[in-house]
Amino acid sequence: MSGIKRRQILASAPLGLAGAALAGTALAPRNAAAAEKEVLIGCVYPLSGPAAQVGHDAQAALQVMADIVNGNHAIPMLMGKGGGIAGLGGAKIKLIFADSQNNPQIAQSETQRLITQQKVVAIVGSYTSATAVTISQVCNRYQVPYISAENSAPSLSEQGLTWFFRPSPTDNDFSQAMFDFLEAHAKETGKPIKSVAIIHENSVFGSDSARIQTGLAKKAGIKVAADISYQASTPSLQVEVERLRAANADVVLPSSYTSDAILMVRTMHDLGYKPKAILAQDAGFIDPTFLKAVGPLAEGVMSRSSFSIDAVKSRPAIPAVNAMYKAANGNKDLNDLTSREVTALQVLADALNRAKSTNNMALRTALRETDIPGDQTIMPWKGIKFDKTGQNIEGNPVIMQYQKGEWHTIFPVDVATATVEGSF
Amino acid sequence: MTASLVLQVAIGGLLMGLVYALVAAGLSLIFGLMDVVNFAHGQLLMLAMYAVFEFHTLLGLDPLVQLPLVAALLFVLGVAIYRGLIARALAVRFNTGMVQIFVTFGLSIFLVGFAQLVFGTDFRSVNSGLLFGRTVAIGQIVLPLPQIAAGLVCLLAFAALMLIARTEFGRALEATREDRDAVALIGIDRNRIFSLGWGIGAATVGIAGVMLASFYYISPTVGDSFALIAYVTVALGGFGSLIGALIAGLLIGLTEAMTALVIDPSLKQIGVFMIYVLVLMVRPRGLFGRL
Repeated sequence: MSGIKRRQILASAPLGLAGAALAGTALAPRNAAAAEKEVLIGCVYPLSGPAAQVGHDAQAALQVMADIVNGNHAIPMLMGKGGGIAGLGGAKIKLIFADSQNNPQIAQSETQRLITQQKVVAIVGSYTSATAVTISQVCNRYQVPYISAENSAPSLSEQGLTWFFRPSPTDNDFSQAMFDFLEAHAKETGKPIKSVAIIHENSVFGSDSARIQTGLAKKAGIKVAADISYQASTPSLQVEVERLRAANADVVLPSSYTSDAILMVRTMHDLGYKPKAILAQDAGFIDPTFLKAVGPLAEGVMSRSSFSIDAVKSRPAIPAVNAMYKAANGNKDLNDLTSREVTALQVLADALNRAKSTNNMALRTALRETDIPGDQTIMPWKGIKFDKTGQNIEGNPVIMQYQKGEWHTIFPVDVATATVEGSF
Repeated sequence: MTASLVLQVAIGGLLMGLVYALVAAGLSLIFGLMDVVNFAHGQLLMLAMYAVFEFHTLLGLDPLVQLPLVAALLFVLGVAIYRGLIARALAVRFNTGMVQIFVTFGLSIFLVGFAQLVFGTDFRSVNSGLLFGRTVAIGQIVLPLPQIAAGLVCLLAFAALMLIARTEFGRALEATREDRDAVALIGIDRNRIFSLGWGIGAATVGIAGVMLASFYYISPTVGDSFALIAYVTVALGGFGSLIGALIAGLLIGLTEAMTALVIDPSLKQIGVFMIYVLVLMVRPRGLFGRL
């Protein structure tokens, strides 16, 4: 946001408040009704079934952002001042949740219901990319913006939809960031990374990740010394680890879920194999239960992430937002998913504020003009600015390293809180 | 691929095979005794692992020290399951086979839910102890001490099971297996033999659980992958045969490791099931089956 704009908003706030106060004394009853003005926003998440936990966390995260906009918390970020949406006369955000059961068909009908019956002005969702496909298409048909909070499949923004907006990076960006980091690190140490060993579980997540990484390695001129796929439910990873040891690559790139990540790190330890570096594709490696289970064995492990909770120096809003979320959701810290949900609603609130209207065309224009600098959000991104497909072009992921019992951001350098440890 | 790598993988596979074999032994024992397939077998393994974890965190007991304690606990649990559920299921006069399947299957679902409620769904692991993180190096071959110990304990447990088979009680087991009605005529209490059979079956899987807990993660669903292999082991070795379970467990461990090394890790179960299908085609009663 430019300086002028910020000043305008700051200036309009006291006036608006004073105006409301004046009017309040004169016409209390009628104005009370006016102050109740609400903007309805639909949120589609899995609230029952195996993925329900993620949905309930999302509910808490989105509600926290709504409270920030509606309340008076004075958080140092865009739309963090409170008092409702100034551009809409202080209207309050009201979230309406629908249960997708993590099923694309149900997500479709629930989205339709929210749009046609509840008259929501926009939809936020939806955790899995499979549900995001149907939601984004319904939204496109009804010309209602869909803010994709944490869906990461690259194909979503390649559907040619004109009502789709995604602040979050995609899986392509995530893998790209890992190779950018390796390149930057090699430049700094003067020791080029010659080979990587890819090890991945063999469902869609792991296989896609490995495919992208293989392509990027080829492009960067790095040899793929091993490409090992395994079943996540396997009772033993000894042979897989032996093959990694035999490949002796400079960096091991695992794409694993939680149980297999635990088994892999323990097996490496038990067999006395210490890779020069482990750079993980998020997921299991960043799950707090992984750290609890392997403890000190995780020391030095690196992973990509889209959120870094320790970047408080460059993102001053994090402590306050995190405190609110913790209080609202059983003392949990914000994570990779919930931080992006907070941000999705922030983007929408900012657009509503600038659109000064809930008209869908005005709102879409405002969304397209979104230009939020990174330090006005809680994300470590450069900023939020959408391209023609609705994809954020400034959402660069970060690389974290587990050092002395905590995750620290090590890349990119402008949000880093620690330097890389290890010799690779 | 060097010789030492092949040897390393082979020994690792055999050690894992011993654990598979002991898990299968309890299943085989119960099936051989009374023709009941215990679908909750993997869940007994899971409970034993959680017991190790809880005793370790609450009392600081080393997993190895807990061996007799957890085995005894599982013995009692096995007897209780027989008395409380299986004996009743056996007494049903219609659809007996179905009732038995549903009783043990229902028990398995209950035990997973119970573990989720009591222990939570997080993954746990035992991160200290006499064996934790130690390795033994023989030349270029590095073997984890917890797994060597697990292999040895499993072998000992097998030896004990075979000794039991030679005792008076073992002969009573054998007789009850042959004809459960006739034994009553010579004064053998069928119910007592069955409960002891369940107790011993559960205790062996308990021992496997203790040894696994020192190098494996623990979660409410940890029993699933081991149970699947245990069913194959029992069928491969021959229903009711202890030596069959031992040989089949070793064979499966070795096949799994070798398939992963030579072909592809994600195909390792295919190697196991291919051998299984082959044996079924050539010798349907299993390697050592007598049925």
